[in-house]
This record gives sequence, C-alpha cells and structure tokens, in this order.
Amino acid sequence: MRIKRYRGLFIQVIVSTLFISIVALFINNLSVNLLRAGLGLNFSWLFRSAGFALAEHPLPYSPSSSYAWALFMGWLNSLKVISSSLLIATLIGFLVGFASTGTNTLLRILSKLYVTLIRQTPLLLQLMFWYFVGFLSIQGEIFSPIKGMLSLSNQGIILSGINLSPEFSSLLVGLGIFTAAYISEVVRGGINSVPIGQWEAFRSLGLSENDGLYKIIMPQALPAILPGLTSQYLNLAKNSTLAIAVGYADIYAIGDTVITQTGRAIEGFLLLLLSFLLLNLIISNLMELLNKYILTYKQR
Amino acid sequence: MNKKHNLFPYIRRIAFSNSLDTCITLFILLAVFLLSTITIKWLLFGADWAVVIQNYPLYAFGLFPADQRWRPALWLLLLISLTIITLVGPRWRWLRKLLPITWIGVIPLGIVLLSGGLGLLPVASRYWGGVTLTIFLTTCSSLLAFPLGIILAIGRQSDLPLIKFFSSIYIEALRAVPLIAILFFGQLLIPLFFPIGVEINRVIRAVLAFTLFVSAYVAEDIRGGFQSIPKSQEEAAKALGLSKLQITQFVILPQALIIALPALTNQAIGLLQNTSLMAILGLVELLGISRSILANPLFIGRYMEVYVWLAGIYWLICTVMALLASHLEQKVTIEKLTIKN
Amino acid sequence: MTSVIRTRKLVKTFSKGLRALDEISMEVKKKEVLVVMGPSGSGKSTLIRTFNGLETFDSGELEIVGIPLHSDHNERNVREIRKRVGMVFQQFNLFPHLSILENITLAPIKVQKQNRIEAEEHAMSLLSQMGIITQARKYPSQLSGGEQQRVAIARALALKPELLLFDEPTSALDPERVGEVLDAIRSLAEKGMTMVVVTHEVGFAKEVADKVLFMDSGKVIETSTPEVFFTNAKHERSRKFLNQIGE
Repeated sequence: MRIKRYRGLFIQVIVSTLFISIVALFINNLSVNLLRAGLGLNFSWLFRSAGFALAEHPLPYSPSSSYAWALFMGWLNSLKVISSSLLIATLIGFLVGFASTGTNTLLRILSKLYVTLIRQTPLLLQLMFWYFVGFLSIQGEIFSPIKGMLSLSNQGIILSGINLSPEFSSLLVGLGIFTAAYISEVVRGGINSVPIGQWEAFRSLGLSENDGLYKIIMPQALPAILPGLTSQYLNLAKNSTLAIAVGYADIYAIGDTVITQTGRAIEGFLLLLLSFLLLNLIISNLMELLNKYILTYKQR
Repeated sequence: MNKKHNLFPYIRRIAFSNSLDTCITLFILLAVFLLSTITIKWLLFGADWAVVIQNYPLYAFGLFPADQRWRPALWLLLLISLTIITLVGPRWRWLRKLLPITWIGVIPLGIVLLSGGLGLLPVASRYWGGVTLTIFLTTCSSLLAFPLGIILAIGRQSDLPLIKFFSSIYIEALRAVPLIAILFFGQLLIPLFFPIGVEINRVIRAVLAFTLFVSAYVAEDIRGGFQSIPKSQEEAAKALGLSKLQITQFVILPQALIIALPALTNQAIGLLQNTSLMAILGLVELLGISRSILANPLFIGRYMEVYVWLAGIYWLICTVMALLASHLEQKVTIEKLTIKN
Repeated sequence: MTSVIRTRKLVKTFSKGLRALDEISMEVKKKEVLVVMGPSGSGKSTLIRTFNGLETFDSGELEIVGIPLHSDHNERNVREIRKRVGMVFQQFNLFPHLSILENITLAPIKVQKQNRIEAEEHAMSLLSQMGIITQARKYPSQLSGGEQQRVAIARALALKPELLLFDEPTSALDPERVGEVLDAIRSLAEKGMTMVVVTHEVGFAKEVADKVLFMDSGKVIETSTPEVFFTNAKHERSRKFLNQIGE
C-alpha cells in the first residue's frame, strides 16, 4: 500500500517537473523573442487612440477613441449578433425538431434533408454564401410585403425602421440556420427520450397532438434538452467569431485589427481570451438560471 | 393483398390526416416545386461553369507547380488506398501489423512529398493548396490529436490530483476558446515560443494549432466512453489482479474507444470542415483557393457556381467519411461481439 | 343489443409479410366483458390497440362505438373514438410531471372543456371509488404499482367512456398487488361497463368474462363462454395453450 502511494507521488512529481520545465522553456523563449522585438508585456497602449473607423458601433465611437473602447464596441457587437441569432436558431431549431418527430412524413423528410445539408458543409462557406450570394447579389428590393416594415435588399434587412447591415444580416441568417440544425437534433433527441407509452397515453385520452406535445411530452423532454441546448449556445458564441469573414466588426475581428496595428500579440490574445470567458460565463449562467426555473416549475 | 390497393389510404394517413397536415403538405409541395423550377432554370440558363471547369487543377492542388503535381496526387492516392486497406481488414497478419506503422508514416511521407528535399524539388508551403491541403491538415491533425486526446482523457480520470488538475485545465480552456482564435494564436505566437532560428512553416503551425484544439474535444469524447463503462468491468479486472495501468490499457480503453467511435468520427468530419477557417488566415486550402479564383477578374461575381461546387465537394467528402466510419463501427462491434462468444 | 365493437376481416401486415392481424372478424355487444387470451406475439395487444387507433391496419372494416374507421386512419374519427373509449396500459403510462389529480383532470379539461372545479370533483369521486382518495395531491412516482394502475383506471374513466380497453393491466405488477387492480375492474363490470381485457389471469376471466376470445398467430382461434373455454375448449390449440399456463 505504502509503495503504491509513493509511486503515485513519484509519477506526479515527474510529470509536473516535465510540464513545468516545458512551460518554462516556452516562456523563456517567449520573453527572449519579445525582448528582441522590443516588446515587454504591458497594457498602456490600450488607452491610445485606435485610429480606425467602425461601420457598426452600438455606443458613440470615432477613430480617436481608445483601443480599449474599440475592443468594447467589438464585444458589444458580438453580444448583439450572438443574442439575436440565438433567438432565431432556437425558434427554427425547435420547429424543425418538432417537425422531425411529427406525423407529417413529408415534413420529416424535409427536416432530415435540411439537417444533413447544413451539417455536412462548413459554416464558413455557408456564411460566405449568405453574404455574397444571399445579400450582396440582391438587385433592388426583392421582398417587402409591408412598405417600410420589413424589406430585404443588398443594404441588409430593414425591420420596422431598424436597419440591419448586410454583414449583420448574413451572420444572423447564417449562424441562425446553422445552429438551428444542431438544436433540432438536440430537441429530437430530447423528445425521443420520452417513453413511447406517454404518447400512447395522451392519445388514448383524446388529447390532440399539439396539446399532448405541449402538456405531456415537452415538460418531460426539456430536462434532457437543456444541457444540449446550452452547449449549442456556447458553440454559437464561439462560431460568431467567423464574423471576420464577412467583415462584421465583432470582438475577434477588432482584436485581430488591434494586434496587427500594435503588434501586441500576447496582450491582445489575453484580452480576447478574457472576453470569450465573459461571454461563456454569461451564457452558461443564464442557462443555469433557466434550468433551475424549469426544475422548480416542474416540482412546484 | 396488392400494394396498389393500399397506396391511397397510406398517402392519406402520412400526409393528409387532418386539415393542418394537408395545408402543410400542400405548402411544402408548392415550395419544393417553386424552388426546383428556379434551380433548374438557373442550372440550364443562368449558371456558367467555366469558373469550375477551367480550374480543376487549382481546386485539387492549389498553386503547386504543374510539373510536380504528381507528388500531392501520389500522396492522396496512397492515403485513399491505405484507408481502403484498413477498412477491408486484410487477412494477412503481417499486413495488419504493418498498418499502424504505415498510418504513422503518412505524416512524414506527406511532408516530404509536399515540401520536397531528399532529391525532390523543394516547394514552399505557400504553394500547397486545394483539396490536397484540406486533406493534409485533416489527416495530420487527427492522427496527432488522437493519442494526445487519449492521454488527456486518462489524465483527467487519474487519481493523482496534479495530473487531473493539469488535464482538466487544458481541456476546459481549449474548449472555451473559439477555434479561429487558436489558429490565429498558432500562426502568430507559436514561432514566439520556439528558440530563435527554428523556422516552422505556416501549414505545420496550422496542424499544431488544430491538434491542440481537437485533442481537447477528443479527450472529452473518450471520457464520455470511460463513463459509460459499468463499474463492474473495473472490479472484474481488479479481481483478476491486473494493475491500474493494465486495467486502463486492456479493459477500459478498448471499450471506451468503441463507444466513443461515433463521436470521434464527428470530430474528424468537423475538423475537415473547420480546416476551411485557414482561408481567413491566409492558407489556400479548398475554400482559400476558391476565394483567389473568385478574385480573378475573369470569373468576377460567379459566387453561386463556386459555392455550389464547394458545398458539393465538402458534402461528398463528409458523407464518404461518415459512411466509412459507420462501416468501421459495424465491423468493430461485430468483431468484438464474436470474440466475446 | 347494439354492438360497441364490430370488425370484419381486419388485416395488419408487418414488414416481411408477417401478419399481426389475420382477417379478424368479431363483435362486442353493449355491457359485455370480453377477455382476450393467447400466447405472446399472438397479436392480442395489436388487436386491442387498433380499437382506439393506436395501431393502423391495412384492410378490413372496423366500427367502434358506432364510428367507422378505415385503413386511411381518418384523424377526426380517431379522435372522436378516443374521446369515447378509455384505455389502461400494462406500464400504467401515468404522466410523471403531473399530480394524480392533474393526471385525471387533464383530458376532461382539455378535451371536453369541462371547468376545473367540476372536473376535480368528478376526479375525486373516481379516486374514492378506486380507494385511493388520499393520494390525490401526490405524484405518480410516490405511489405503488397497484395504486398507479388504479389511478390509470380512474384517468380512463374520467371521460365517461362507453368502452374500456385493458392491455395486460396486471402484468407489470408485483404478485401481491394484482388483486386490488382486478377487484377494481370487477366492480366496473358489475356496474355494466363494456370492456375488453387482454389478460393471463384465468381466475379473473372465469369469474368476470361473458366471452373469451382466443388468438394465435394473428388469427381468432375460438370465441366461447368461459365455462366452455376453460373446461371443454373446442380447438386443439386452445387446449394446448391452457395446458401450458397450467389450467
């Protein structure tokens, strides 16, 4: 027994030493390289003026604003595109999930087709498609059922006076449709985890399919759906960094510009990490709250 | 009882069972009809496939020198045949024993064939591209990430607190960060961590970054496999007097890998799709080379054709990977079951 | 007497051409109790499940409580039938996220648009009839199997059905819990409820059934009174089956 314990300690010491020495070697190389380039680690450059313009900024911003403010604008832009495509993805995802477990065979085939098509092609390609083919190639207004309320054009989407840029719109549509395919699979899995007897029981009571889904199946499926939903939301947040490909100024795109301008790679990278951490924390905490709410609602 | 007799009630049952269903079905039929007429019209009259047809070599090999294209082609061919041999499962024992070594050899062979040296004309990494580069990135990164992921998963399960701590931190940190940030990190910062004078080309930097990223996900998938193995397996192995390492190596890990196989396949398919991110960071893999082609004034505005073509290629490769994987999965499960009986 | 169930040459084929129902023709009259017996896989569960549209069929005629049902499975008719026919399952299938009272009142409120107070009053009287009125506010997981099955019967009764279907109601119960459920069904029979019961409980069948229907490989082998069936079965296969279950 004692020999065993010492052996465990021995392995740990060796692995830790190995690990620490590798890290130390890396850090040593890093500092040598940084010193050579005349770049010590510091953050004071954050408060110098950024000098670049931003097409979209939720709060007042000009090229004379600081790098820190520019990064914050990027973070807010990320938050904006994440939260809005999250709503769209959830809506479509649940609808497709319902359709893929529903009684209409045509609808089932169609949702299966949608899911495979979306999942077997890269998201980046899809985003470029929505941007270059979906929005920039539109000639004139193609869709405006109510004048001034909703219109689609190469200027983006206009929704009751709010003008969404084509960059934002293509991200919104692309991320929404992409994530919805994954969410629909989560929803389908959750619904299928409810025993078949529950369906038979509500049907035998004469309840309609909609009533049964809403009153009987979903309350039991939700606990199984929520964890998957959370990880899809986190994926959505991570995937939103592909915004750079369509020229939308999210946190990563601005971080990229800032690093290229200042050469402050390490600091810039650390700031990027921090902002992602913050986004992740927001999403997982909100989902945790939702989870608790649903559990208490369930038990009453 | 003939089939015809049942067709009408069957259709009615699956598509027109109530008024809402009927509405939905009719709406879908209308939408599919409209969409297919638009598509057919575009295919017949709108599309100009010159942008695809005139650039086949670019899509396949990128800017690789024309007289050297046999090298990437040879590598791809070897890779495909190796995959087929592995899946068919040769009878000869010596060939089976050779397979793992051959797979490990795929990476250096690819590097030599692509970059040259050893009597071959040197080709700089900026000329590597197209499907070749996409496959190269996918293959090398998954082959490297797989063992690293296993080590991390075992580390995270370990009783030794320090090892568990390091593995967990690594896995959680990498899973929290977007891939593009890690790839950016790879391109920009990996050189900074190495001594002066060590030159690492952009493709290898990308492979390293992908490996770091994917290994964290692979580790989680394998851990999922670990967790679904009943505790009784470990107890049975302990009762036989196996050591901890032996239990992991011979009892737990083989079962966990089989369970994790579908998830691992999805990782590989996801990785293939994610290699497209390198287009943003300046490599001309399949998506990157297409961006260059679209920038050519000859093909200006031909987005639709190129994107449809790319979607087709990616879809084909991913579907083939998925099919091969499900074949492998069946094979492995059957083999394991027959051993049991 | 009017018939509550009538089938003519009902056929259901599974893939590979296996017939779960092979030209079933039968009838159940009002206030009659029919017990369906047969070896497992004989199609008796499939048969009882077609009676409220949980299973579709390929050809033949089916008429339940006066409503015709065809192989196209017309949804309006199916729902009308389900409103008027109650069903009790082998696995109880109570809704785990709803209380006992909510389990029972859900369909009356949602389907028959009764008001909540009226529905709850009726539910309470049904629970007292089943002898479990103290459990009304509990959740299914807090009840024993026998109690859960009695809740399931109360739930089926809440819509005041003209016909009750029981699909092996005691097969998932502990042996000591079987009696209480059978007693509940027996008391319903005494009140004149029309019922179809799939069961292996010979004692129950002898005592309560008006007719016993014996099925094997999707076919009706014989339909007799329990006196005849258990003492002097007409058919060779029925006698073999009775031998196997120890009668």
